[in-house]
Amino acid sequence: MTDSEVIIKILSGDRDKFRVLVEKYQSMVFRTCIGFLHDKDDADDLTQDIFLQAYQSLNGFKGEASFSTWLYRIAVNASLNKVRKKTGHPVFQRIDSFLQSAKGKEVFPPVSDTDNPESILIRQENSKWVQNALDSLPENQRTAIVLSKYDDLSQKEIADILNTTEGAIEALIQRAKANLRVKLSYSYKKIKKHRRKNISFVSNHKNELK
Amino acid sequence: MNCQLCQKKLDAYREGILSDDMRTQVKAHLKLCAECGESYRIQLLADSVVNDEKMIIPDNDLTSRIMARLENSTETGYRNISPFRKVLKPALIITSLAAAIFAGVLIGNIYKPSVRELSQPLELALIDDVAIESVDILSNQ
Repeated sequence: MTDSEVIIKILSGDRDKFRVLVEKYQSMVFRTCIGFLHDKDDADDLTQDIFLQAYQSLNGFKGEASFSTWLYRIAVNASLNKVRKKTGHPVFQRIDSFLQSAKGKEVFPPVSDTDNPESILIRQENSKWVQNALDSLPENQRTAIVLSKYDDLSQKEIADILNTTEGAIEALIQRAKANLRVKLSYSYKKIKKHRRKNISFVSNHKNELK
Repeated sequence: MNCQLCQKKLDAYREGILSDDMRTQVKAHLKLCAECGESYRIQLLADSVVNDEKMIIPDNDLTSRIMARLENSTETGYRNISPFRKVLKPALIITSLAAAIFAGVLIGNIYKPSVRELSQPLELALIDDVAIESVDILSNQ
């Protein structure tokens, strides 16, 4: 059964058919949300919101673009709104980050059993560093990077989602990559300095203990 | 190959879409140039972080939770918010705000700050009690 057929069934009152669309596209939406939010719980909540929103506005789906393109648009807009809310006010942001650290909520990639504490720490630090660099990109560049790197979409698909030309997307991705490169190198230098400081601190204490 | 060209070709090099000749040139430059080498390593690291994040998968019960929320939201009429409610909600907020301001002004008018008044007239307050007392003592004597 094609997406259009499923949608017709849903619109004619068979609400349970929406499950078919959710099962088919939930990973895709979730991945987009992770790309923007870097947090499993937040991505999970937002994925639910996005599907609810999609269901509520299913009447507005004209079928001019594919359902996945339409759903991507909703996902991108919802993710950007969520990001804007998160970074809205510095005071709330600080309170939020405090609450998150109190709950130990910062989510990092899964860790395998064989990893030692030091490598886990380094991986977490690397994650934070890359996430910060990604988050500091302008919205349009960030969207293009998320869609291309996290969702592995082609330039044509991204152009369809963002309602622009392939050429514009190519230029946007180039700019985003160059910008990201600069931000990554800058923050990597900072992180390296920080690590060096930590290592010298540890070695000094080791000497004292001896 | 210079650094500028190498940096330009790094993405394509990582993605493995360079021609053989260009790939050899970039590879040779990365071995020689410490700065470009570091830039390459940073990008590889960033790629690995993105790939790690992509490995995070949603919980198995996500579909059920979405369908449950859908059930609840339609039951509570969340799906079709009537235009009347759309207008009523902001109107109610504005009215409450106006009422709160009005109540504030009203309470402000009822409350009168206490003014410190002298318990006795100024003339009496200025009289030196000690002096009077001493006069009394003197007159008794």
